[in-house]
Amino acid sequence: MDMTDRDNILLESFFKEAAMQQIEDNGFTERVMAQVRMCEETSLKNRRLSMLWTWFCIAVAAVLFFLFSGWQLLSVSIVSILHTLFTWFSVLITTAPTADLHIDPVVLLLLAVFVLVFLPYQTYRKLSATL
Amino acid sequence: MAEIGDIALVTQVAIFHNKRAFDQLVRKYQSPVRRFFLNQTLGNEQLSDDLAQETFIKAYTSITKFRGMSSFSTWLMRIAYNVFYDDVRSRKQTFDIDSPEITRLSSSTADAGLKQDLHQALAQLKDEERTCITLQLIDGYPIDQIANITGIHENTVKSHLRRGKEKLTNYLKANGYDR
Repeated sequence: MDMTDRDNILLESFFKEAAMQQIEDNGFTERVMAQVRMCEETSLKNRRLSMLWTWFCIAVAAVLFFLFSGWQLLSVSIVSILHTLFTWFSVLITTAPTADLHIDPVVLLLLAVFVLVFLPYQTYRKLSATL
Repeated sequence: MAEIGDIALVTQVAIFHNKRAFDQLVRKYQSPVRRFFLNQTLGNEQLSDDLAQETFIKAYTSITKFRGMSSFSTWLMRIAYNVFYDDVRSRKQTFDIDSPEITRLSSSTADAGLKQDLHQALAQLKDEERTCITLQLIDGYPIDQIANITGIHENTVKSHLRRGKEKLTNYLKANGYDR
């Protein structure tokens, strides 16, 4: 069934009064603002608790670190990582001139664009959405 | 001009957490938001006020997400629409019955005269049809903004409007409103 002009006029006149209806505030805004203040207080309390928990974890981690001579373990790990990296690098230097490596400049360019443009842009977008 | 005023107030709320600015926004938009819920819930004032309150609190907590791509009122109505349909979904899960039944059962407030006629007429429509019809004929939003608020494709909004208007016209004629 197609709507005729008469039908449209009928609908418009039926909804005319409803369209003009203004609802009185009657303390609604005050109730909303009281809720907003309550929400803020709760969120502040949660933030404080979360910060306290973070500091507590950091303190426990620091105590355990010194209790179990963490520095020793850390220095051994760092030396081991550096040693591995140095080994990889020396292997690369020794084998690179003899290996037949074909590097496509387009792929290189795309990789550079990805690293220099896309990644910083994505990071900026994510940060600006959360902050 | 009103839009510039809204954006200035939103900026005050988002950056300086200015509650007085948010108070002004609530005062300005409480009527259309509560009216929207009143029409969706077929006149249930208590539920409408609860949902409107939830809408404004969500607007406050996520005000930094307002990018100004649409007007503040459209953004607010989109939140209101989501709040309403979240409520409908949660009721469906709780009672496992259709939402119009729930709203009809719960709309026990003493609406008089035309208000009651209006809600009885709106009860003839499905949820989505009712939303599109009230946004167009009561709140005066054009089709593209209704699509923006509801997240429904424009063509689907048009078919909801067409079907809704046909149902309403038949209902009004059957009840002697065309005389």
